[in-house]
Amino acid sequence: MTDDSQRNFRSVYYEKVGFRGVEEKKSLEILLKDDRLDTEKLCTFSQRFPLPSMYRALVWKVLLGILPPHHESHAKVMMYRKEQYSDVLHALKVVRFVSDATPQAEVCLRMYQLESGKLPRSPSFPLEPEDEVFLAIAKAMEEMVEDSVDCYWITRRFVNQLNTKYRDSLPQLPKAFEQYLNLEDGRLLTHLKMCCAAPKLPYDLWFKRCFAGCLPESSLQRVWDKVVSGSCKILVFVAVEILLTFKIKVMALNSAEKITKFLENIPQDSSDAIVSKAIDLWHKHCGTPVHSS
Amino acid sequence: MAQQANVGELLAMLDSPMLGVRDDVTAVFKENLNSDRGPMLVNTLVDYYLETNSQPALHILTTLQEPHDKHLLDRINEYVGKAATRLSILSLLGHVIRLQPSWKHKLSQAPLLPSLLKCLKMDTDVVVLTTGVLVLITMLPMIPQSGKQHLLDFFDIFGRLSSWCLKKPGHVAEVYLVHLHASVYALFHRLYGMYPCNFVSFLRSHYSMKENLETFEEVVKPMMEHVRIHPELVTGSKDHELDPRRWKRLETHDVVIECAKISLDPTEASYEDGYSVSHQISARFPHRSADVTTSPYVDTQNSYGCATSTPYSTSRLMLLNTPGQLPQTLSSPSTRLITEPPQATLWSPSMVCGMTTPPTSPGNVPPDLSHPYSKVFGTTAGGKGTPLGTPATSPPPAPLCHSDDYVHISLPQATATPPRKEERMDSARPCLHRQHHLLNDRGSEEPPGSKGSVTLSDLPGFLGDLASEEDSIEKDKEEAAISRELSEITTAEAEPVVPRGGFDSPFYRESLPGSQRKTHSAASSAQGASVNPEPLHSSLDKLGPDTPKQAFTPIDLPCGGAEESPAGDRECQTSLETSILTPSPCKIPPSTRVGFGSGQPPPYDHLFEVALPKTAHHFVIGKTEELLKKAKGSTEEDGVPSTSPMEVLDRLIQQGADAHSKELNKLPLPSKSVDWTHFGGSPPSDEIRTLRDQLLLLHNQLLYERFKRQQHALRNRRLLRKVIKAAALEEHNAAMKDQLKLQEKDIQMWKVSLQKEQARYSQLQEQRDTMVTKLHSQIRQLQHDREEFYNQSQELQLSNSESVQQQMEFLNRQLLVLGEVNELYLEQLQNKHSDTTKEVEMMKAAYRKELEKNRSHVLQQTQRLDTSQKRILELESHLAKKDHLLLEQKKYLEDVKLQARGQLQAAESRYEAQKRITQVFELEILDLYGRLEKDGLLKKLEEEKAEAAEAAEERLDCCNDGCSDSMVGHNEEASGHNGETKTPRPSSTRGSSGSRGGGGSSSSSSELSTPEKPPHQRAGPFSSRWETTTGEPSASIPTTVGSLPSSKSFLGMKARELFRNKSESQCDEDGMTSSLSESLKTELSKDLGVEAKTPLNLDGPHPSPPNPDSVGQLHIMDYNETHHEHS
Repeated sequence: MTDDSQRNFRSVYYEKVGFRGVEEKKSLEILLKDDRLDTEKLCTFSQRFPLPSMYRALVWKVLLGILPPHHESHAKVMMYRKEQYSDVLHALKVVRFVSDATPQAEVCLRMYQLESGKLPRSPSFPLEPEDEVFLAIAKAMEEMVEDSVDCYWITRRFVNQLNTKYRDSLPQLPKAFEQYLNLEDGRLLTHLKMCCAAPKLPYDLWFKRCFAGCLPESSLQRVWDKVVSGSCKILVFVAVEILLTFKIKVMALNSAEKITKFLENIPQDSSDAIVSKAIDLWHKHCGTPVHSS
Repeated sequence: MAQQANVGELLAMLDSPMLGVRDDVTAVFKENLNSDRGPMLVNTLVDYYLETNSQPALHILTTLQEPHDKHLLDRINEYVGKAATRLSILSLLGHVIRLQPSWKHKLSQAPLLPSLLKCLKMDTDVVVLTTGVLVLITMLPMIPQSGKQHLLDFFDIFGRLSSWCLKKPGHVAEVYLVHLHASVYALFHRLYGMYPCNFVSFLRSHYSMKENLETFEEVVKPMMEHVRIHPELVTGSKDHELDPRRWKRLETHDVVIECAKISLDPTEASYEDGYSVSHQISARFPHRSADVTTSPYVDTQNSYGCATSTPYSTSRLMLLNTPGQLPQTLSSPSTRLITEPPQATLWSPSMVCGMTTPPTSPGNVPPDLSHPYSKVFGTTAGGKGTPLGTPATSPPPAPLCHSDDYVHISLPQATATPPRKEERMDSARPCLHRQHHLLNDRGSEEPPGSKGSVTLSDLPGFLGDLASEEDSIEKDKEEAAISRELSEITTAEAEPVVPRGGFDSPFYRESLPGSQRKTHSAASSAQGASVNPEPLHSSLDKLGPDTPKQAFTPIDLPCGGAEESPAGDRECQTSLETSILTPSPCKIPPSTRVGFGSGQPPPYDHLFEVALPKTAHHFVIGKTEELLKKAKGSTEEDGVPSTSPMEVLDRLIQQGADAHSKELNKLPLPSKSVDWTHFGGSPPSDEIRTLRDQLLLLHNQLLYERFKRQQHALRNRRLLRKVIKAAALEEHNAAMKDQLKLQEKDIQMWKVSLQKEQARYSQLQEQRDTMVTKLHSQIRQLQHDREEFYNQSQELQLSNSESVQQQMEFLNRQLLVLGEVNELYLEQLQNKHSDTTKEVEMMKAAYRKELEKNRSHVLQQTQRLDTSQKRILELESHLAKKDHLLLEQKKYLEDVKLQARGQLQAAESRYEAQKRITQVFELEILDLYGRLEKDGLLKKLEEEKAEAAEAAEERLDCCNDGCSDSMVGHNEEASGHNGETKTPRPSSTRGSSGSRGGGGSSSSSSELSTPEKPPHQRAGPFSSRWETTTGEPSASIPTTVGSLPSSKSFLGMKARELFRNKSESQCDEDGMTSSLSESLKTELSKDLGVEAKTPLNLDGPHPSPPNPDSVGQLHIMDYNETHHEHS
């Protein structure tokens, strides 16, 4: 940290004592003050700490490459992005793929399809599975990001990241999940295996959609902080934590279908705790990310 | 002599009836005594006192100061030696000693003591002996340590007198013996209390003798029943008790109390430790007081008539009575101040004790008078103030008695005044007579009237009656006959003779026997005078009013309380009252009492026969026997071992009074006088003497008791002071404790704050330490920097100077070399051209000049060198700057590039999006076109149905061929077909649609040239999808000819439209084809554009064909194909 001098020297102790996020906002502000934003540092930061919600959109945009690291060009680039968005939207309206009544998520999906040249001939054509994934993520993103332009762009880049950067690691996640679940609670895993539920767990929901639609957005965005900043392993720990949290219920269920069904519709009330614990678990197993700089 | 005469005059004036004169004279005497140290004045005073019994003289003598004590003692000693004056001088000595003069310690050394002892050993007069013994007893506690040398004398005296009690040597009257017995008893107590070991050993040795055994059995043994074992008998020794150290710590009253502690006799004993006895007393008191108040009153009432007989004695009696009586003082005429008493509510212990009361001047009389009164109310109101603390002799009964008295006093006050006034005015004798008459008159009037309220003024008359029973009416004459005493009495009585109440008081009873005897002897009159608390006699006020009220009451009380139960008491009283009818009742009670005490009734019958009227005799006998039984029974019941001599004496006095009153009641007035004459003209002089002596003895006893009371009072005061002090100390302690607590709290607080301060101090220390270390490190850093700087600067200097030196050296060397060369040349020149000096000269000059030039040149060169060096440095730094700038610029450039790239990427993506949009639009347009044309063609299609059918058949075959080929080859084949069949058409279409086609191709080519990376992957599935759709119609068309192709794909739709168009409108092909080709071209160009992307990354061979020709071919082929199929 180059700006250590500007930070409050007590911040170290805050963390030790258990006050999280006291100094994080400030340090993030310091990071964001840099001209030519250091994406590496931003990545490390968002992996280490939860992002303050007021800076989340900006950080995500920078991390996902929607905004360049230079502050100067932000306005211009953003203008481009907006124009592009409005052009595409206009085009879709012209070809009558979308109307004003179309939900935002679908609009995003259509725009994405258009931009990637995969727009079907008719809006009534059935959706591909990957489109469903996109739609779910867009829906969740819609809740997290207010501006529709940002929403579209972030969704698009987020999905893009899933398809490119994590293309190889995503299929490995179920295996990692079983491994960590075994470490945390072997009995649960054996129970799942006994019920033959292990392979039938909602991996698609968890790892392809990144829990979109499974967890409420308020907690989900903390998970996505980590995903955006480059770690998809957090998804595994969220899944493990979900199982640990609902261990009793899961243990009570015997058939794979029931377990899957339950896991697809877990209660929402404890999601915050789940996410917090999952992040702790993640830090525990993978170590707290250190500033690489 | 003048002075002597003067003194004589003064002495005469001393007894003047005028208060003022008396005070003045007293003052003069005192002054003289202060100034004169000679014995003369004292001697004169003593003589005068012995002569006149003067109260003021006595007062002066008793208050003598230090230098005169020797004279006084000498004088007394002198008189003690003489038998005639012995008694009066002893009483004087008693007065002096009882006041405890400051020189009392000298008594032991004075020659008076041995002579007193000698007198006690030798004298045979009981009165003298009793008085002397009392004086001795009083003196003993004052000189305890000096007792050593006289101890045996004391014991001898005790032995002698105790035997006297039994043996009754000579003609000693039984009555005297009672007194003697009492005083011996007191001596016994004193000796036993003070010197137990010695005394016991004396008793042992003395009573081991056979001749003394009887005395022991009869006298000493009963006495011993009234003492407990002295602790000294166990712990002490003979020597120890004589040790002066033992006595040093004890004051007089301490010694008295010590002795009282040993006593078991309730009248003597001190109960400092517990209050059991005093409680008893107070509990029993009411009964006694009831007796006291009721009986005498009734009696007085009835017997009033007899009062006529002895005015003289009455007044005398009153003198005796007065001291103890509150009512007396109140009712006395002189105390019209009676209104004042309330003022006297101020009651102080000192007043009660009579200790520190100063000799009162005449002016102070009223307050003094009020003392008893106030005292009474003080105690009644304040309750236990004094009584509780005081020993057995304490006066709880007094208050009640007095308060009762007070109720009755109001009456006599009025009646009593007149006589009093008269007396005052008149001289002694006539006054007495008058008074007598007055009283008589009044008495005759009153008795029948007021029964309930007995006037106290009746008392004297009544008393007088009592006396007259014995003495007959001719008292006056007798008195006149007794020359000296009489004159004394008259003078003494001149002032105070006032009928006074107080019948009910104990003192009354005590003094009663004495009064019955009449005051004949000088001694008794002196005694009476001395006791007289007459307000005018200020000198004795101190003694008078103060003492009696306490001193006398107790005597009654214990005897009533201790001996008899309340019920029994009353009975006994009444029985006694009724039974003792003798004119000389004093004799009977003692004897009965003695009988009680010793346990064997004494033979008093003969006494009665001698002294008492016979008429009363039988009655007395019967009654006394009754009484005896009862008393015995009660004593047995009470369990008291035996009666003490004191009690016997008390009982004697009390019952004497009661008997008298009873007796008087019964005797009718006239008969009385008659009786007396009948019984023997004049009463036996012996009897009179006996009575008088007895009175004297009683007075002595009283004074002794008073002394004891004083000692108790002293002790009370001390105890009270201790109590107060203790209370104060306790309070002080509590306060100190509180303070301590507060201070502890303070200390706690300070501790806490100290800790805080310490903590803060340590914190500051730490801070300071850190600061110091920080500063140290900074200093070190600075030093280091300085050293470095110093080194560098030195280096710099060194290098600078080195380079300059080098140059200098170099130049010097050059110079040197040049000089050498010059010299060489000069030599050469000299050698060679010695002749050519001119030339040489010239040359020299030239050289010199050249040298100069060179030199300056060298200088110039060095300067230039310098400048150039500087310049180099400058430039170098400049260069570095430039480099830096360049680097920055590069960075900046990079940055800008990055920025630009970002923007560019955004722009590109935007452009990409635009492209996509355009594509979508184009597709849409195509779609719309397709629809439009379809509508127009539908009509023509119907017209050329037949043609279309044919064409369809042909087309089918071709299509089959084409289908069998691969997808890739399909186009080529088709192109081949096209080329054969319809070459002109495409060209025409091309020409016509050149502008459009060109646009399309150019777009496609441009797409080709700029291969888009991102869309490729996405394009993959898209293109494949598209290909499958393109493939499908070709596969399915042959089988489903005529039917509408599935609207799955764009191309399929197009193909279908085309197919229909071709098959249905054969005739106007040209127009159609042109339009078709147009649409196709655009469509294809678009397709190609799409295709162009896909092949690039998916299939390699595909992209190769796209060029203007192939496009055209494709167009044609496609058209041809469909066309072919149709045709």
